[in-house]
Amino acid sequence: MRNVLTIAGKELRSYFTSPVGWVVMGFFALLFGYFFFAHLDFFVRRSMQSAMGGGPVNVNQDMIRGVFSNATIIILFLMPMITMRTYAEEKRSGTIELLLTSPVTDIEIVLGKFFGAVGFFVALMGVTMLDMSLVFIFGNPEVMPVLTAYLGLLLMGGAFISLGLFVSSTTKNQVVAGAATFVVLLLLWVISWVGSSFGPNTAAVLSYLSITEHFDDFSKGVIDTKHALYYLSVTAFGLFLTVKSVDTERWRG
Amino acid sequence: MIEVQHLTKRYGPFTAVDDVSFRVQKGEILGFLGPNGAGKTTTMRVLTGYMPATDGTATVAGFDVFANPVEAKRRIGYLPETPPLYPDMTVREYLTFVAKLKLPKTVSKSERTERIDSAMRKTHVDDMANRHCSRLSKGYKQRVGLAQALLHDPEVLILDEPTAGLDPKQIIETRDLIRGLAGNHTIVLSTHILPEVSQTCNRVVIINKGRVVAVDTPDNLTRQLKGSATLYVQVDASGADAAAALATVPGVRGVSPFDRDDQDGHLGFEITAETDRDVRRDVARVIVDKGWGLLELRPLRMSLEDIFLQLTTDESAKAEETPDAPEASAAVDATNGEVPNA
Ligand SMILES: Nc1ncnc2c1ncn2[C@@H]1O[C@H](COP(=O)(O)OP(=O)(O)OP(=O)(O)O)[C@@H](O)[C@H]1O
Ligand SMILES: [Mg+2]
Repeated sequence: MRNVLTIAGKELRSYFTSPVGWVVMGFFALLFGYFFFAHLDFFVRRSMQSAMGGGPVNVNQDMIRGVFSNATIIILFLMPMITMRTYAEEKRSGTIELLLTSPVTDIEIVLGKFFGAVGFFVALMGVTMLDMSLVFIFGNPEVMPVLTAYLGLLLMGGAFISLGLFVSSTTKNQVVAGAATFVVLLLLWVISWVGSSFGPNTAAVLSYLSITEHFDDFSKGVIDTKHALYYLSVTAFGLFLTVKSVDTERWRG
Repeated sequence: MIEVQHLTKRYGPFTAVDDVSFRVQKGEILGFLGPNGAGKTTTMRVLTGYMPATDGTATVAGFDVFANPVEAKRRIGYLPETPPLYPDMTVREYLTFVAKLKLPKTVSKSERTERIDSAMRKTHVDDMANRHCSRLSKGYKQRVGLAQALLHDPEVLILDEPTAGLDPKQIIETRDLIRGLAGNHTIVLSTHILPEVSQTCNRVVIINKGRVVAVDTPDNLTRQLKGSATLYVQVDASGADAAAALATVPGVRGVSPFDRDDQDGHLGFEITAETDRDVRRDVARVIVDKGWGLLELRPLRMSLEDIFLQLTTDESAKAEETPDAPEASAAVDATNGEVPNA
């Protein structure tokens, strides 16, 4: 466990000592801020209309949900930049030789890298809380749906990270790792789109596999174990693949 | 302390290490010698548990590196060919990270700091403690890599070209350091610098194309491989029959031209004689009898370089296949330093 923490600490640190970490954080803050204020602006106008006789508005339903839904898209685009270096860079620079000859297990290394990236992801979420706090200062939204949405983001982020880790462990080239991770995540994102052309059973399976389908309930304030389980099993699967891949790479040398 | 048995490593269809066996006693320094691509790094990577072998076993400090990797790794300090440094860490941060990974969890924080300081002092990197690893010169990177290997005071040190990239002063200091570590530590090091082997190592493993071609002490290698005594003689002879005349001396097995200086007619020959026979007097007598000038007569010693070349070049591989080569072919071809096998 100590080893996992040591490696996670080193990983987390590396995000803040390298330009990539700051660039990701900057882009994320920028994009999230943009969507946040776009939704805010839209919501303010709708509330005015509503005051003049439109239907009732709800800040959770009509604004915050939209913001979180957009956040998942930003995360989809930026996540490859978070995970692409994890293994690829160590393999390229040869530092992997230090890790693999230290008295730690492969699983500890994989978990260390995973939690390091999760730590950075949590820091990104922290940035969004700055924007979100504005809504709480000037409005009166329900807390529960916001918290569950964050939980959903965290679970989804974990799933993305484990897949990104796996892709990164298969190559020495971080650009390749980043691009391939993006493709994998995007496919998981849109997999349900083709469902209807394959008949109801396949559609159900594909829809179950789709990353987005599982996020909706969280942003509505509902914690459904089915969805949590989905993200957790994708995460576990990604980590399992990573451990296997590290082992295979070992054999190849 | 280290026992390697029938170790084979294949990369796909390519065999990088082929049935290598050797053992290293506690406190010994073993030198790993071989041309580029011989399989030194590959063998070391298997020993350190970086990669599994295709076949065979390796035991380090009593632990099988495949069956019990974590315990084996605890007892190994490894300096890879490329020092594994994180560019965005300072030297101290880097060594702290390594210490956290490698030191037993019972070691206190202050003791950890002490160990780090001591490793930095031993490898002379203390003046760079707060410099980023990416800003270090090649030699300093190498030294920090060495500090990293020594940090947890491991029983076994595996050093892949520890003196590569160091300045002459540092090379000497590092060799002294390595020699000083022997006794308490068991050391395997690889190098291309042959004098380094005779200076630091108790035993040498010469490896070529993945196979061990010789294991012995540097002294024994020099002695054994000489096989027959060789002499260098330079004469001032105008005629071309000097070689033939020298070949008639009893005990001489071969004469071959070594160098010639056409301007003043000086001829140099390398004479191979039977091992336990001193032919110098007879050679001198023949030359004097013929009325030639005897300019130089001295025994030729075979350096480790010659042995290395002999064992690892193709010509010698052929010679190995036909150990009972006829005497005629035993003449020394001095241009490539080949010496007949014993
Ligand atoms: N990952 C790999 N995949 C395929 N072949 C490899 C790999 N690593 C090494 N080799 C090959 O294995 C052989 C042995 O390489 P190795 O690095 O062990 O040599 P070496 O003795 O350390 O050489 P040098 O003196 O140049 O460091 C070489 O022919 C090399 O090309
Ligand atoms: Mg090498």
